[in-house]
Amino acid sequence: MEDQNKKRIISLRWTAIIVTSYLIIFGKGKIVHIDLGHLFILAYILSNLLLIFVPPKWFSNLKFFYSLVLMDTGIVSFGMFLSEKVTTDFYIVFFFILILASMSRNYKLLMVISGVTASFYGILLYSWGLFNSEQGVSYAIRIPFIFIMSAFYGYIVQTFSKEKQKQLAISEDKYRGLFENANDGIIILRNSPWQIADVNREVERVTGYKKEELLQKDALDLIAPSHKQEALSFFERVIKGGEGRTDALSLVRKDGESSEVDLSIKRIDLGDESFFQVIFRDLSDQRKLEKKIRESKRNLEAIFDSIREQLSIRAPDYQIQRVNRAVVEKFNTTFKELIGRKCYEAYYQRDLPCEKCPVTVTLETKKPASAVQKNPTIDRTLHIFSYPILDEKGNLLSVIEYSRDVTEEQRLQEQLIQSEKLAGIGILASGVAHEINNPLSGIIGMTEASLEEEDISTIKSYLTDILNCGKRIGEIVKGLRSYCRVAKEEEQNLIDMNDVLEESLKMVRLALKTGSVEVVKKSQPIDKVAANLGEIQQVFTNLITNAFQAMDGKRGILTLSTRPLRDSVEVKVSDNGMGIPQKHLSQIFDPFFTTKKTGEGTGLGLNIVYRIVTKYGGTIDVESKEGSGTTFTLRFPTRRNEA
Amino acid sequence: MNKKVLVVDDEETIRKFVKIQLGKEGYEVKEAADGEQAMVLLKKIRFDVLICDIMMPNKNGWEVLKEVRLNPETSEIPVIVLTAKNEDDDMFKGYELGATYYITKPFTKSQLLLGLNTIFDRKKNSRY
Repeated sequence: MEDQNKKRIISLRWTAIIVTSYLIIFGKGKIVHIDLGHLFILAYILSNLLLIFVPPKWFSNLKFFYSLVLMDTGIVSFGMFLSEKVTTDFYIVFFFILILASMSRNYKLLMVISGVTASFYGILLYSWGLFNSEQGVSYAIRIPFIFIMSAFYGYIVQTFSKEKQKQLAISEDKYRGLFENANDGIIILRNSPWQIADVNREVERVTGYKKEELLQKDALDLIAPSHKQEALSFFERVIKGGEGRTDALSLVRKDGESSEVDLSIKRIDLGDESFFQVIFRDLSDQRKLEKKIRESKRNLEAIFDSIREQLSIRAPDYQIQRVNRAVVEKFNTTFKELIGRKCYEAYYQRDLPCEKCPVTVTLETKKPASAVQKNPTIDRTLHIFSYPILDEKGNLLSVIEYSRDVTEEQRLQEQLIQSEKLAGIGILASGVAHEINNPLSGIIGMTEASLEEEDISTIKSYLTDILNCGKRIGEIVKGLRSYCRVAKEEEQNLIDMNDVLEESLKMVRLALKTGSVEVVKKSQPIDKVAANLGEIQQVFTNLITNAFQAMDGKRGILTLSTRPLRDSVEVKVSDNGMGIPQKHLSQIFDPFFTTKKTGEGTGLGLNIVYRIVTKYGGTIDVESKEGSGTTFTLRFPTRRNEA
Repeated sequence: MNKKVLVVDDEETIRKFVKIQLGKEGYEVKEAADGEQAMVLLKKIRFDVLICDIMMPNKNGWEVLKEVRLNPETSEIPVIVLTAKNEDDDMFKGYELGATYYITKPFTKSQLLLGLNTIFDRKKNSRY
């Protein structure tokens, strides 16, 4: 298209050049500077040759095009001047043609007019008798010149008006497309009264009216009756400010339903008329979605809240992001009080995270953790579990904390431990009774013998026996007292397992006849363990008692060994007694499991041992072979950094 | 001829005072510190009475009593069970196993003599 334009313009110019050159050369007038005439023709030809190399695109450029036209007009006028024969009438005719061409929309009409003009001019020249003069040819040449010039200009004007129209049409289409296909409803309003000038398809869809119907309406007709007042004041503001936005209005549809919309208005001034462009978005779908989201959120919250155990979500900086109702009830507080605060401040009145906090562990390791913690604020013992919430890349987003009130459970456990201890004391007491009765029999018997004896040295030897028996009773009572000493429930000391093992052994020996059992001690220096002395003693007396009972008063070897491990200490109690049958091995730590006769065992011993050991984060393992003995291996973690 | 008594107890003082007191009464007293020693002596010597503790290392009193009763040579020997176990159950168990008399610790000389006299009187009476 552009190429064609270029070709035509260049060829038209060739024609113009030829005609102008002819005018100059064959004018046969008194050319003052004949060389100037030739120079001009050369320049004109050159200019057209140069145009060949101009890219076709430039011919669509109006600036380039108009300057070319202007230049050509100048050149041709100058050429006419150089022909010397040109008189005022020729100039008049030339400019008449120029004016005609620039105004022309219809090329054919232009050609007819220029033809008529050229003929009329020819007749005029003939009637003046100029054709028969010396310069007749020069005059005759004016006729085709006029014709060619009008063709030249006419074509240019024609082409460009077409081009412009085409561009306009294209841009009109473009904007119409945008307008019609927009996802938002667009209404063009004439200035008050708010008459609808144009709408797009979305408006038709939302309102349910056809475009033709809408064009008959006033914008206020589309506003729901309940919102009319608001709409009026909103429009007033828009008139003042030129634009506005609101989501408080709803449109009434053809079927009577109303749709909530988010609407914005902008004034567009076109000359002295102004329009309002209204763009709105139907919010009903969005509202439905929002409602759904709200509902599902409410559902999730209801589930979260209806869990009776305490759930809480922590940000990585310990901030409480969310808690369920159980937490609020447990702490007798409000959601507001808790959310946004650091957990250790809100729950524990501390400035720093608690030690042994499972959340800290989870934050560091991104793995689940748990711990039993006593909360002084509410005086409850809580078993806290923490789980990491990770994004798909494995980054920690938050920590969910689940805590269970184990206060009652712990109390029962303490009671169980205590009652087992009492049962132990019962067994011990009967053992001790025996142990005391023996020396007591000695004391009574020897006292009687002394009373009947006359010989003072014999009496003295009897008294020595009595003294020894008395001392033994004293020892027994002392040992008994240390066993029964009830350590304060929560009291934890750093204790040396070797010492406790030794003491427990003594205790058991009081209660049981252990004379024929050889006790082998293989103790190594070990780190102290933070624990309650009474409980650890309970563990060891239980295990040692079992060991002795397994050997049943026969000759046997009880081996007590301790050794330090990397972060823990190990205690082993082994015997070469009867062993535990394979089928019982899985049950020995169960409560009330016993193979002893009624009255001899509570069935709680090893269960308590297990509970106590695990309470301190320790482990207990058992190895046993029927007929050749049993070994219990206990490991207690040491905490070096704790004072 | 003096009556022969075997005192079995792991408590040395008890053996000692029993020996002193019974010696005064004309008994010939032998001592054993545990059940095994007692069995050795019982095989060698024919005792007229056995005074036996229950809780002892290396074969307790119950085992001694059982073996004594099972052996035809010793089955007729009266046995006084001497024990710190004073629960009724233990006493029944003692009699079931064939104990002749049951003395709980601590005990006095007179309790011991009462026991011995009861045994020998019964024996005397049963003869007639």
